Amino acid sequence: MREEFKLLVALQDLDIMIKEVEEKKTSDKLKNMGFQLDGLEELQKARAKLAGKIPKALRNRYEKLAGHYSMAIIPVTDNRCLGCFSKLPTSFFSSAYSSELLTCENCGRLLFIP
Amino acid sequence: MESKKLASLFQEELCIFSLRSRKKTSVLQEMVRHLKASGNIADEHFILEMLKNRESLGSTGLGLGVAFPHGRSIAIPDLTVLFARSPSGIDFEALDGEPTKVFFLILAPSEKGAETYLALLSKLTALVQQPETLEKLYKVKDFESLQAVLGGDNK
Repeated sequence: MREEFKLLVALQDLDIMIKEVEEKKTSDKLKNMGFQLDGLEELQKARAKLAGKIPKALRNRYEKLAGHYSMAIIPVTDNRCLGCFSKLPTSFFSSAYSSELLTCENCGRLLFIP
Repeated sequence: MESKKLASLFQEELCIFSLRSRKKTSVLQEMVRHLKASGNIADEHFILEMLKNRESLGSTGLGLGVAFPHGRSIAIPDLTVLFARSPSGIDFEALDGEPTKVFFLILAPSEKGAETYLALLSKLTALVQQPETLEKLYKVKDFESLQAVLGGDNK
């Protein structure tokens, strides 16, 4: 897996965490269980630092997808994109371990093969 | 979530009854490595980074000697729970400042909602509020005794 793609995956994990804290329903549940969520600023700093390591064109692509979908990077399961559930062509998997970033031809999301 | 169902979420190969690590980050690392070694995750890097970020939000060491490191990642295929225990306790920056002896590591796939793990987290945080259960958790030495505590079997 390309190093910059690993950074993108980490960025998405961080974005999901930030979103959870910002969502009142989720953060209230966590606080009621006793969790303190005071470090949002720290997370945002970590995000900025991580985003700065990703090439601009790739980061922009991610941001654009993340603005459109809840997840810009989506896993592949049973040869399907879990974002739009479209079946991926067999030829797709022959290039799955190449250095190319994999994209769903139907929805445009970046694909993560577990 | 019923106690029987709760107990069924735990697997023997995802239990560490005596953690070797003595520091917060190395405890997280040991648990994540265990997940990788057991084939539950393909890449430990993503999970470790995510858990370290989660700790920077606020320690998941809630006190009473128990911590609940948790989070969601695309690198997690299914809801996964790992139990770990440190007989002597570890400084996990717990909210009460006391050493942490019991760890419930909870990981969920990011494509599913937060509800996937919140229900489990809620059940476990409530469970450790019971003093008798907590005392038993501090002492569990094998999977059978852990199952007995989680399943409500007080024999």
